[in-house]
Amino acid sequence: MELRINQKAYQVDAEADTPLLWVIRDNLGLTGTKYGCGLAQCGACSVLVDGNVVRSCVTPVAGVVGREITTIEAIEEDEVGKRVVATWVERQVAQCGYCQSGQVMAATALLKHTPAPTAEQINAAMINLCRCGTYNAIQSAMQDLAKQESV
Amino acid sequence: MNNRRFARTAGWLVLLCVVAAGLLAWYVTRQPASPFEQQQATSFEPALVSRGEYVARVSDCVACHSLTGKQPFAGGLEMATPLGAIHATNITPDREHGIGAYSLADFDRAVRHGVAPGGRRLYPAMPYPSYVKLNDDDVKALYAFFMQGVQPANQANIPSDIPWPLNMRWPIALWNGVFAPTATYAANPGQDALWNRGAYIVQGPGHCGSCHTPRGLAFNEKALDESGAPFLAGALLDGWYAPSLRQDHNTGLGRWSEAQIVQFLKTGRNAHAVVYGSMTEAFNNSTQFMQDEDLAAIARYLKSLPGDPQRDGSPWQYQAVAITPAQNLGAHTYATRCASCHGLDGKGQPEWMPPLAGATSALAKEDASAINITLNGSQRVVTAGLPDAYRMPAFREQLSDEEIAQVLTYVRSTWGNQGGTVDTKAVGKLRGHTDPASSSPIILHMR
Repeated sequence: MELRINQKAYQVDAEADTPLLWVIRDNLGLTGTKYGCGLAQCGACSVLVDGNVVRSCVTPVAGVVGREITTIEAIEEDEVGKRVVATWVERQVAQCGYCQSGQVMAATALLKHTPAPTAEQINAAMINLCRCGTYNAIQSAMQDLAKQESV
Repeated sequence: MNNRRFARTAGWLVLLCVVAAGLLAWYVTRQPASPFEQQQATSFEPALVSRGEYVARVSDCVACHSLTGKQPFAGGLEMATPLGAIHATNITPDREHGIGAYSLADFDRAVRHGVAPGGRRLYPAMPYPSYVKLNDDDVKALYAFFMQGVQPANQANIPSDIPWPLNMRWPIALWNGVFAPTATYAANPGQDALWNRGAYIVQGPGHCGSCHTPRGLAFNEKALDESGAPFLAGALLDGWYAPSLRQDHNTGLGRWSEAQIVQFLKTGRNAHAVVYGSMTEAFNNSTQFMQDEDLAAIARYLKSLPGDPQRDGSPWQYQAVAITPAQNLGAHTYATRCASCHGLDGKGQPEWMPPLAGATSALAKEDASAINITLNGSQRVVTAGLPDAYRMPAFREQLSDEEIAQVLTYVRSTWGNQGGTVDTKAVGKLRGHTDPASSSPIILHMR
């Protein structure tokens, strides 16, 4: 099957029910996307599919054929994604960093749909887990980003 | 004069009682007839043994008579009844603890009539009211398999902890007289061979009604074939709601094609649903091993059972909803915990993650399945030796009773679903019953 990832076409030989995460990491070697829980609970494996955030550990690869997939490797090629990463660096959000590629994907998806989210909308969307507890830093970064857009 | 008359009457009464007691004693210990009465079979053709192995698969004997990680058919599964626990027995050919000393006729009487050698009655947890439909050839093949295809296990049976006098078995003979049929399956001449094969499997070896047919006050299945409207009309047991297998649009198989029924039984999944609850075991151990023509026969038969629009409610249709995750606790929990797999639109990712829009668990009034799967997740579905890639996680430790009640209320009243609200107390109750450390296990663990 053919997958479009980060605006590039990849030929993939995988079973229809293989999780997209395995294809991205194992078949294609794009290891920026992380495996966390494997049960759609933590969000470490988040990628964008047609601009929506999706947990790739529970996404059968057959379901994303013909759709546009974006992973952390190419997030800075996106205008919004670039701003998110810059703000993340500015606010020094990451600690161990394992969950951060997923956090950045979730933030980018939110800001693409809702450029100036309210605190409530941020809380509802930024639900990925962080073992280090960087939630406060994520909140600050998100508030910065929301303000940038509303200025 | 009066005294003599009294003595005579009393004498007659005593005689009558003695005769009645004698008749009762005879009736409750009587050995039912078996067509194999005089047959002594000790060695069997390999073809017959493998045929018997197939019948054992279709009959799902391992479901109760085997424990995971233990020797097959050595028994041991605990079934909680309102009176106390009983345990499935050792049915390996071990002569001491198993059935190694059974003649073919003994085996026949146990399987089809629930009578062990010596006249002792089995509990109807053994589905002999269904197995009675097995034809002679299948019973003989099954015997050949258990005698020659199964390794003997020298493992003692666990006695039941039902106290005297409730543990007396003879009253079961009276129960049998009222509720257990005595005839093998008779083909319906008005139907073709495929339908009849399906009816045979569903009513007999497959014993689908053990879970899917509602039970009466005496724990009897309310119908054992298509002549009764309650047959396979859906039933609550073991903390799961086994849905209707009739043509009910919402809560049955009304929206399933024959091909989709076959696919479900063969692969454990289709566009409508994925096996879960007790059906996972039935799939893992039994239905996936059935031959394609037998699955087609089952599908043909099930599609011939009419639904009941009155019980089923108005036909479900998908209704789109605006996505507002913050609107309430249920919607928020759905968006954060469920939507990654089942979709914000409730349509799931067929055939891997089942849709919740139009799911029987979201349309049936009984909410046990919805609560149970959310609390405890799904078991591993193993198809052709390979475990499934996706599984429903258990939310027992992550969500409170109220959060589960709210999210299920949301699921059961969105996208056209009409199951309705879920009570926080109902979640708490099932949480307690399904806690592995619970002292109040679910009543009647029957399959």
